[in-house]
Amino acid sequence: MTATAPARVRMVDTRWLDFAGQAIFHTLIAALVVEALVRLWRVRVSGQRVALRLLALAWPLVALPVLFLAFPVRGADAFREGRAIFAGRRWDDVGFLGVGLYVWWVGAMGLSGLALFLMDLVPLLRARRGDPPSAPPSSPEGRRALATLVEVSAATGIERPPPLVFLEEGPPILYCTGARHPSVVVSRAAVELLDEGELRGAMAHELAHLERRDPAVSWALMGARALMWFNPGFQVLTRAMARDAERAADERAAAATGDRVALASGLLKLYRATEGRPLPAPRRRLPLAASLAEPIARARAHDIGARCRSLLEPAPERVRFGRARVVVAAAALFLLLFFVV
Amino acid sequence: MTAPGGMGVGTAAGEGLRALWVLFLVLGGAALMLAGLDTVPIWLHGEPRGVRRVASVEEAERRLHARVLLPAYFPDSFRWPPATVRVTAEDGGAVSLAFLALDGTPSLVLAQGLGGKGPLPPALLPEAAPIHRQSAPLGEGATLSRVVGEDGTLWSQLEWTAGGRRLVLRGKGSLEEMLRMARSVHGGSR
Repeated sequence: MTATAPARVRMVDTRWLDFAGQAIFHTLIAALVVEALVRLWRVRVSGQRVALRLLALAWPLVALPVLFLAFPVRGADAFREGRAIFAGRRWDDVGFLGVGLYVWWVGAMGLSGLALFLMDLVPLLRARRGDPPSAPPSSPEGRRALATLVEVSAATGIERPPPLVFLEEGPPILYCTGARHPSVVVSRAAVELLDEGELRGAMAHELAHLERRDPAVSWALMGARALMWFNPGFQVLTRAMARDAERAADERAAAATGDRVALASGLLKLYRATEGRPLPAPRRRLPLAASLAEPIARARAHDIGARCRSLLEPAPERVRFGRARVVVAAAALFLLLFFVV
Repeated sequence: MTAPGGMGVGTAAGEGLRALWVLFLVLGGAALMLAGLDTVPIWLHGEPRGVRRVASVEEAERRLHARVLLPAYFPDSFRWPPATVRVTAEDGGAVSLAFLALDGTPSLVLAQGLGGKGPLPPALLPEAAPIHRQSAPLGEGATLSRVVGEDGTLWSQLEWTAGGRRLVLRGKGSLEEMLRMARSVHGGSR
């Protein structure tokens, strides 16, 4: 290590570096604070969790630009040296291989963020390219799926059920899609796999996603992730939001069908029939795919397990003062992060 | 007996207070963690809070948005460029340049404050106990002192005002050369 980074390194456009560094660090702090509050306040209802997590998610997109534009004084040396409780730039005083540690840290975090973003973007683009052919639901399984969809739509208060895309071939899958023209996609294998109650629960789950406009929200989140590609905390938070959306759809479906156990059972069956199996050979072409596949599979299995456990318990209760908690937490975070530069 | 409604209000108030207490603990813990993290580079780098070591006089000028006053006369008995350049944004900004003698020992410090005629921040130029003080021929308010330096030896110290700044020249060289250096200091705001 050397005592001082060379001057040429500091000639990098410091404003952008400061913005990127603060976006990454602020998101990490906001995410840690929010996650601690979710656990200590015992917030179990997905909607309330989402409201709190949105604080951390909105921070680098909304609050940080406001801080940069409205309070340029935070960028001055006098503020950094005198009033800030943490100044990332101070780490630039310590150099490694001629570059300040702050620049190293922002670079490493940026690469991590990009890797996390691409891990979700690449499979998404591949999946869009390879949609399997669909057929009108003329088979008995197709008619059964359509009838269940109509029945569950009526039970959930949806007047016009979304179109059903029935796949005669392929693995057991059941999902919703379409931001502007929503539809429910189900395969023959999924209909054969699930019994009546499980199919009703799974259909209600997908309808709940459409009711919540989750496909459109997920695209909006993907756009935000593209803006914050360098921010690993942001990438992880959006994944947490996706899990919250799944939990919220589970609760809505369980309330609509009145059978929490059937939904949990259907979830497990579909997971075991697809994700629980070893990954097919073509997905192991990347050099690190084999080593990454195991922890990712474990995380998914853990998530499915948590959702099933949650469904086997009674519906969670909302914590009191939900909105007030979000407002006070937002104000407190603003106060704390104002002094983190 | 307490009415059920009153109990509900009491429970709600208690829950609200508990939520606030948890929020206070979480944010207080985060603030403490951040403050602790902020001291690590200070510990690694060995400079007090508020003082930064920079690579050159030019970088100090860039950080302070002002030109550093330098002596036109520089004796051959010291090494140029300065061995260390330290800046602080406190009290309107200040800079100190430390020079080594030809044998490599610290022998000269030129410090200046941009924030007027007040004393320089002690973090940048540690206070030295004066043994003797008299006026110096460098204008009104200028002084010449003999002080005990950080190394325990006697140093000469000139303090004067030039270009609206407080300057201190502390050195172990000859007094005549120090006065000549002080008189040759020039520069000023950009």
